[in-house]
Amino acid sequence: MERRFAAMCMPAESKRDLAVKHSFPCARYRASFLCLTFIIICCALLCGREPANAAPISHGTLDLIAEDSSIAPGHAITLGLHFKLEHGWHIYWVNPGDSGEPPIVTWQLPEGITAGVIEWPTPQKLGTSTIVDYGYEGDVLLLVPARAAANVATAKPAQLGAAVRFLICREMCIPGKAQLSLTLPVRAQAASPDGAVEPMFAAARAHLPKPSPATWKYSARETKSDFVLDLNAGHAIAKAIFFPREESQVNNSAPQQLVSSPTGLKLTLEKADELTKSVARLKGVLVLQSGEAYIVDVPVRPTPAGR
Amino acid sequence: MKRAVLALATLALLFVAAPILFSAPKVGEPAPDFTATASNGKTYHLADYRGKYVVLEWHNNGCPYTRKHYESGNMQRLQKEWTAKGVVWFTVISSAPGAQGYMTADAENSYMSKMSAAPTAALLDPAGDLGHLYDAKTTPQIVIINPQGTVIYDGAIDDHPTSDPADIPNSKNYVSAALEEAMSGRPVDTPTSRPYGCSVKYPGSSH
Repeated sequence: MERRFAAMCMPAESKRDLAVKHSFPCARYRASFLCLTFIIICCALLCGREPANAAPISHGTLDLIAEDSSIAPGHAITLGLHFKLEHGWHIYWVNPGDSGEPPIVTWQLPEGITAGVIEWPTPQKLGTSTIVDYGYEGDVLLLVPARAAANVATAKPAQLGAAVRFLICREMCIPGKAQLSLTLPVRAQAASPDGAVEPMFAAARAHLPKPSPATWKYSARETKSDFVLDLNAGHAIAKAIFFPREESQVNNSAPQQLVSSPTGLKLTLEKADELTKSVARLKGVLVLQSGEAYIVDVPVRPTPAGR
Repeated sequence: MKRAVLALATLALLFVAAPILFSAPKVGEPAPDFTATASNGKTYHLADYRGKYVVLEWHNNGCPYTRKHYESGNMQRLQKEWTAKGVVWFTVISSAPGAQGYMTADAENSYMSKMSAAPTAALLDPAGDLGHLYDAKTTPQIVIINPQGTVIYDGAIDDHPTSDPADIPNSKNYVSAALEEAMSGRPVDTPTSRPYGCSVKYPGSSH
């Protein structure tokens, strides 16, 4: 192999009969480059650990992964849409905020396997002071709970497909589409976690907003122009941000007025301009200064007449 | 001493002006007057169009949501249909210099010619003053002003917040609906909706 390589890289006049006419400065460099490329391609095809389910997307990659290395009939399994975004690029939360669009997945699953909805990690506030969006940067794993029926076929592996549509933005936006696939064996015995991805799933779970502690008491009411959210947490809360789960309820760019008290807080949230009717429940995520994030889902008391 | 007085006077002026500068008009409120220069070189004052319906269409020709409506010909169709019925249609470009969608007058005129766009004029707003005046957040975003100078619509162009032109035939167009309803003396059924698209690229925005 080495001798052949050396022969290809010898000065043009000592090569075997090759009538190469080109303006490239030295024929041997072109030849050795081609040789190297050939080797690299061979390696990638034959010995690479390139996962078949990864898709390059504009400014990142997107994978479909599973927490376990097999599917067990009658059991649950957690799937994940794994985005790795280039620095500065972001995708959006279920409520994208003032602009943008959240990722949407359409599943193509074999008989007996069903997938639920995306479990959204706690979002970040993105954008400027006048245009506020909610989303994610960097490495993001969107968890999706799935389930295999007791009678799912075990004879052959399960081919899972996911068609994902998403918007990735930085100073401009690029709509993306990816067709992902993942093949998992179906085995009667309980599945074991895939060690390679288990830490990612654990980290993603830690990033999900938690249910609020049972001792916390929320109440919400609305006025003509605002929602007022009261939280009795049993201790003072100095700083918190509310991320509204539903589009077009809360004005995303209006400052949230927070009044701290010894037992918690009161947050006044300006209503969105395009909100035209009463809202039954205020849903979202309350993120404290520590980074702890809690699920909020509270009925909204209407304004008493005359206020 | 003089400097201190000047500083105080400026602060006082800002304090008075702030509500005017920073409160965006809502549906049902008077549309703030503006003066803007278009790509055709002329200057337009909103006040001159009292007695007519005026549409403001925020635009960024690189944004996939704007392209959805231009590459399909949807926006041009709306511009032609409504200007033929006496509506004044202003395309507004509030992208800052260097940002996506920023256009010089010549570039915008070429673009409009190439795309057969037919607004009354394309207003160039690179400092973002007109955008901020109306609190425009996305491209596209539509504001409709009635002949009495009141905002009667502010929001999305239609009810399918995607960048896919295939969605257009199935979409309810809020602009046509509002203009038809208002022109026939009926109340606008959907006077506001969440505008969808890319964020307007104001100066200082990195996204």
